[in-house]
Amino acid sequence: MATEVLWWIFAVAIVGVSAGVVFSRSVIHSAIFLILSMVGVGAMYLLLMVEFLAIVQLLIYGGAVTVLILLALMLTRMGAGGAAQKVDGPQMPFALLAGGGILAILVGVAVSTSWPGDVDDQPTGISIELISEKLFQDFGAPFVIASALLLVALVGAIILARQEDAD
Amino acid sequence: MTITEHAYLLAAIPAGMFLLLALLGRYLPRGGDYLGVLATGTSFGLMIAVVANYVQNRGGLGGAFQHGLEAQEFPAWTNSIEWSTVGDFVLRMGIYVDPITVLMLGVITTVALMVNIFSIGYMKGEPRYYWFFAVLQLFVASMLMLVLADNLLLLLISWELVGVCSFLLIGFYWEKRSATEAAKKAFITTRVGDVGLFIGVVLLGKAAGTFNIQDVIHAAQEGHIGSTYLFVSMMFLFLGAMGKSAQVPFHVWLPDAMEGPTPVSALIHAATMVVAGVYLTARMLPAFEVAGDMMLIITLVGLVTALLTGFIALAQTDIKKVLAYSTVGQLGFMFVALGSGAPEAAMFHLMTHAFFKALLFLGSGSVIHATHHHQEMDELGGLWKKMPITATTFLIGSLALAGVFPLAGFWSKDEILHSTLDWGGGWAFILLAFAAVLTAFYTTRLFVRTFLGKPKDQHIYEHTHESSFVMTGPLLFLCLLAIVSGFVVFQDVGKAIGFPGGITEFIFVEHPHVFHIDWALAGTSIAIGVIGIFSAGWMYWGGSTVRSTKLAEWQPGLYDMITNKFYFDEMYQYGIDRGLLGFSFIVSWFDRYVVNDTGVDGSAQITKYSGSVLKYAQTGKVPNYAMGVAIGVITLAVVGLAVRG
Amino acid sequence: MVPLENYLVLSAILFSLGVYGVLARRNAVLVLMSVELMLNAVSMNFIAFSAYLDPSRITGVIFAVFIITVAAAEVGLALAIVIRLFRNRATVNVDEAAILKW
Repeated sequence: MATEVLWWIFAVAIVGVSAGVVFSRSVIHSAIFLILSMVGVGAMYLLLMVEFLAIVQLLIYGGAVTVLILLALMLTRMGAGGAAQKVDGPQMPFALLAGGGILAILVGVAVSTSWPGDVDDQPTGISIELISEKLFQDFGAPFVIASALLLVALVGAIILARQEDAD
Repeated sequence: MTITEHAYLLAAIPAGMFLLLALLGRYLPRGGDYLGVLATGTSFGLMIAVVANYVQNRGGLGGAFQHGLEAQEFPAWTNSIEWSTVGDFVLRMGIYVDPITVLMLGVITTVALMVNIFSIGYMKGEPRYYWFFAVLQLFVASMLMLVLADNLLLLLISWELVGVCSFLLIGFYWEKRSATEAAKKAFITTRVGDVGLFIGVVLLGKAAGTFNIQDVIHAAQEGHIGSTYLFVSMMFLFLGAMGKSAQVPFHVWLPDAMEGPTPVSALIHAATMVVAGVYLTARMLPAFEVAGDMMLIITLVGLVTALLTGFIALAQTDIKKVLAYSTVGQLGFMFVALGSGAPEAAMFHLMTHAFFKALLFLGSGSVIHATHHHQEMDELGGLWKKMPITATTFLIGSLALAGVFPLAGFWSKDEILHSTLDWGGGWAFILLAFAAVLTAFYTTRLFVRTFLGKPKDQHIYEHTHESSFVMTGPLLFLCLLAIVSGFVVFQDVGKAIGFPGGITEFIFVEHPHVFHIDWALAGTSIAIGVIGIFSAGWMYWGGSTVRSTKLAEWQPGLYDMITNKFYFDEMYQYGIDRGLLGFSFIVSWFDRYVVNDTGVDGSAQITKYSGSVLKYAQTGKVPNYAMGVAIGVITLAVVGLAVRG
Repeated sequence: MVPLENYLVLSAILFSLGVYGVLARRNAVLVLMSVELMLNAVSMNFIAFSAYLDPSRITGVIFAVFIITVAAAEVGLALAIVIRLFRNRATVNVDEAAILKW
């Protein structure tokens, strides 16, 4: 019972702050809403009893990614009257339609489908041992490749963003 | 294991020599002509061994050259190896030696040897001397393979090979435009027939399930092939025979083929290659007999050819052209015999004709060589005194061709006339007899105007001299054959050589028959020869053309028809100009405007135009593209859901 | 007792908000933030499926791990591009970066 109440509180909160991310008129507000949204999703992972991912979510999204985004916002701050700028593009109404359409389809499919294997209507806890076992044994190669990807992205980002001598 | 089973060696040796001469001939002294003679000589020797072995081993039994009727007397030797296997279908390649093959082997190797020797003298000093001998070997090899082949595919391959050799040798003097044109004409004309042969072979092979000639014949006789189907496929097969043997309406290439060196004319265009059609028809005769009206068609084609070319030959003035038309006509005689169901008569005439016609061609070659390439009768005359050996042998050859008793041509022509009577075609007999009169007439005319009378061109006459022995030797040998080869028709002569009897007891369908002289028929034959010879002699005596000119003026229309060869070339030219080129024009129009402009350029233009219009859809703005992605996803989802229900 | 459908609907809402953001926002950084929202939604979906339907093989969880990894890399690179864009054209408006066309 307590789980349900908690779930509903977090669900409403997540939807609210996420809407804040995309509808807010201030970029800084959007960023802050995004942090909140990430944290909320992390809490959802806790409710799903996948603690490892909840922690990862908080550390990487809540920490690293949002810090990066805030940094980028500061670096790309435009002019003194930045707040006066329109934040939405000209195709905003169509975007609403598209978002609504996708929502309708996804919700419709999610609700109308009977998902097989859902025996007790409850999440089963996934321990960190199981995850590590799978990650390092069955998915060892992708794991290594992912680390290489991160390295490449790191180098690429540095090359893209650095000040060139010629400029 | 006997030599007969290895008769393919006859073909293998010249084939190997072709490779040697073609590759190394130019570095050998004298172009390796002695090697050519050696190769054909070896084939000749092997041929004698094969014939001896063949005769020895058949135990004196009468032979039928087809399956079934008297199986225990079946005198054929076969030897074959597996060629290729496709699924359950096994294609074998091998040789088949029966009386017809034996006769053909004899004719081919004999004439080939004589021509090879003759060529040493005739071709002396010509450019590409070694190449001439190389191709000659290839021809001999392919021709021997053609008559040895035990299945239709191998026959077809050899058939095309001899065609190629013919093309190469007609166009031997390719510096001359007329020679290249003639080579092309010969190749294309025979090709029309060859396509028919190919279709026929495929049809027969499909119906009979095998390409083995004897099995195909057997299937046809047993009625395993539908009658209409059989008729159509045999008709196609016969088209090939007509093309190769230059029967009307395919006869136009053979006279033009005289552009080739004269020994080639003797070997390919008189004695061997052009009789391939006769050989094929004789080989398949049992199948032709059961194929509807094919026999009548064969007879008619032969008759028309014999008559038509007989008329054309009357007015030709080129020695070789006369002989060429005469060859076509004699091939017509052979087809009449085949159509009358008398392969023995056809093969007999094939043999005697090969000898005396090769003699005549080589004789004319001797004249041409001696007069430094003058072959118009209007420029020659009176050569008897200058070249007695050539003239004498030529005279004997002419008389044999005219059918004078007791030379070879008399007996074989007699057999053919006899066969038409046996067949029951009185009209065919009369027409053929008339063609024989024409033959005697133009032969006499040829001889009289070339060798008798006064020389028309004193300059040419004075520079003429008798040919060397390397040329007259073959003439004398062939002359001997032209005299005696007819006697094999007699039972006693055949037995003396080792055969069971005369040629009619050696080659036959169903039942052998012993030759008896039919005096009434022989009298008619003699009369035919006499009429032809004397009327021609009267008209051209002393080389004068006064009487013949009068005749031409009396009937200008007919004369016009004859001198223009009944306008066959013009008809074909017209047909090609109007029909083929017109059709080509339509096709090229279609290609240019429909295929190219509409199809190829059109699709490019549509792409270009639509691109020029649609490029404005590309705004370059990322949100628009993202919107496109979103719309696409929604659309796909909706469609997917709708399809799933 | 929270049924699976609840998580699915929640993630659908998050995803749709992300789609709206990507399509509507002008600021490139905001667009990126919307993309992060969509990725979060997908991750949550995966984990929910894994926890409810497939707790032994946990393919969904592994997938989510890699999504987070790739998302981190993507954000790093994308922000580097945005900074580059800002330096060259003095704007982060995606509408104005429109020379990639005919």
